[in-house]
Amino acid sequence: MLRRKGGNRRERMFLFSWRDAGVTALILAAATLLCFLMRNIGDGENYVSMVFLFAVALVSRTTSGYFYGVAASVVGVFGVNYAFTKPYMALCFSLTGYPLTFITMLAVAVLISGMTTQLKRQVRQNYNARLEDMRANLLRAVSHDLRTPLTSISGAASVLSRNLGKIDEKRQRALLNEISGDAEWLIRMVENLLSITRINAERASVKKVPEAAEEIVSEAVRKYRKRFGAPAAEIAMPGELIMAPMDAILIEQVITNLLENAALHATGATWVRVTVKKQGCEAVFEVEDNGGGIEPDKLPVLFDGSASSYNDSAANSRSMGIGLSVCRTIISAHGGTLTAENVPGGGARFRFTLPTEEGEGHAQCGNHTHR
Amino acid sequence: MRNAATILIVEDDERIRNYMRTVLASCDYAVLETGNAKTALSIVASHNPDLVILDLGLPDRDGQELLSEMRQWSRVPVVVISARGLEKDKVTALDNGADDYITKPFGTDELLARIRAALRHGRQRNEGERTVFSGNGLVVDTERRIVRVDGQPIHLTQIEYKIVTLLCRNSGKVLTHDYMIREVWGPFSNCDTQLLRVNMANIRRKIEKDPTMPEYITTEIGVGYRMIEMD
Repeated sequence: MLRRKGGNRRERMFLFSWRDAGVTALILAAATLLCFLMRNIGDGENYVSMVFLFAVALVSRTTSGYFYGVAASVVGVFGVNYAFTKPYMALCFSLTGYPLTFITMLAVAVLISGMTTQLKRQVRQNYNARLEDMRANLLRAVSHDLRTPLTSISGAASVLSRNLGKIDEKRQRALLNEISGDAEWLIRMVENLLSITRINAERASVKKVPEAAEEIVSEAVRKYRKRFGAPAAEIAMPGELIMAPMDAILIEQVITNLLENAALHATGATWVRVTVKKQGCEAVFEVEDNGGGIEPDKLPVLFDGSASSYNDSAANSRSMGIGLSVCRTIISAHGGTLTAENVPGGGARFRFTLPTEEGEGHAQCGNHTHR
Repeated sequence: MRNAATILIVEDDERIRNYMRTVLASCDYAVLETGNAKTALSIVASHNPDLVILDLGLPDRDGQELLSEMRQWSRVPVVVISARGLEKDKVTALDNGADDYITKPFGTDELLARIRAALRHGRQRNEGERTVFSGNGLVVDTERRIVRVDGQPIHLTQIEYKIVTLLCRNSGKVLTHDYMIREVWGPFSNCDTQLLRVNMANIRRKIEKDPTMPEYITTEIGVGYRMIEMD
């Protein structure tokens, strides 16, 4: 498995890419144009090598792998020789200092390409380490959060089967309710965990199709209303239809989790409102409540899965650590962001964004979400 | 009311089968059950049940395959059991002739609601075409081409009207995106689901009292749309 990955990476170094080829051609063309202009002004020749050296450095930095940098340096050497040194418009290899120019350009290309590649690898390693961290946190939260309801279910079931008829009916009914409540909770937790399996682990991405935001929000709120009586859920949506590419099942899960979080943890909340709006090239979803807000010291670790239920005093409200960290995983796999804040008047507001345009290179959007 | 209907449960997990049998028997349905595809086919052929509940993950055969084979000679309503997240399976099952699906893990109320709806569709199938549909204040008259909500006439575009009548004729059933596109725009159109969604958004703004919480046409995320039961 590892060897295959490595092989792929090596292949990618020499893989032809239209983007990289285009960038190389563009930079070299710009350098040539600049040299022509400078020659027309009058003091060209001395700067030609410098300009091309800079162009080669630029190509090496912006393209991936060694190929384009080296190619640019070869083109540069011949270009300089052909067009900008006497005799003009002819190749002449007996020029003094010629090997030096060639070697310098080649060396710069190799050096900078190497640095760029190494930098990219480091970024990937950092990312992998962060992913690993998140996974470990999640696992810790899971083992804690799953064991508790499992213990209570098996405990209640064994009490019932051993003492059936011996304890009064009211007590039996209470135990049964506990069992079904905990089972419901486990179902939701497992659904949450399973939803992560829909995310492509290697590329941390999801299959996206354009979906109508209103449909997803409606269904999430419909299910919330079935499960919780209070706080009352409201929807605020603009008249226009907002479409965004997404994995609808996952985004519904996010909204459901945020609503559930409000229902279980927003103390004293009377309403929770889902708002959708379009801002530039992003669809912005907000889930806001008028409860007690989030404790300030919990805010920074809210989405790590580590904000576990250690100091959750209410017996019935289990930790949403897993739910929130799943939300963050889902949203970042969509190329969006998830944030939480306290509203000045009291209450918490969770906000997540989804890019409404597919792919990169939408200049008018200006949302560069490189990781 | 007596539920004389006979229901066949095809599910390999014994505990889930027990659970469903208990629930159905307590509602006075007659219950047949099997854990594999082979017996399922022979029971459908010999006992002619009124409804089949089919788990797609069977040990001896692919559930989808079983479904399409059964559809070649039987019109018995089929409710498929599928896991959440496997939306593609649901779409395939609906395309293969399933009448509805239920998502695992499901509750008792949901199970019974789906069974009642599917049984009703099975009966309606033998009644012939209707021209007037009404439910919850929405009235669609396909003979006079009139759509009303609470008595108020609603003006729909040609495409919107086609979508609404298509959903009415299959009220209570989930129609997949692809099926709707084929039926409304024709089999050779290269229309995408985006256009369907835009039309659906417009329809909802015209017929729903609260378009953010539609009561007539609900969304089945990742699968399609469902119109409420219309009489």
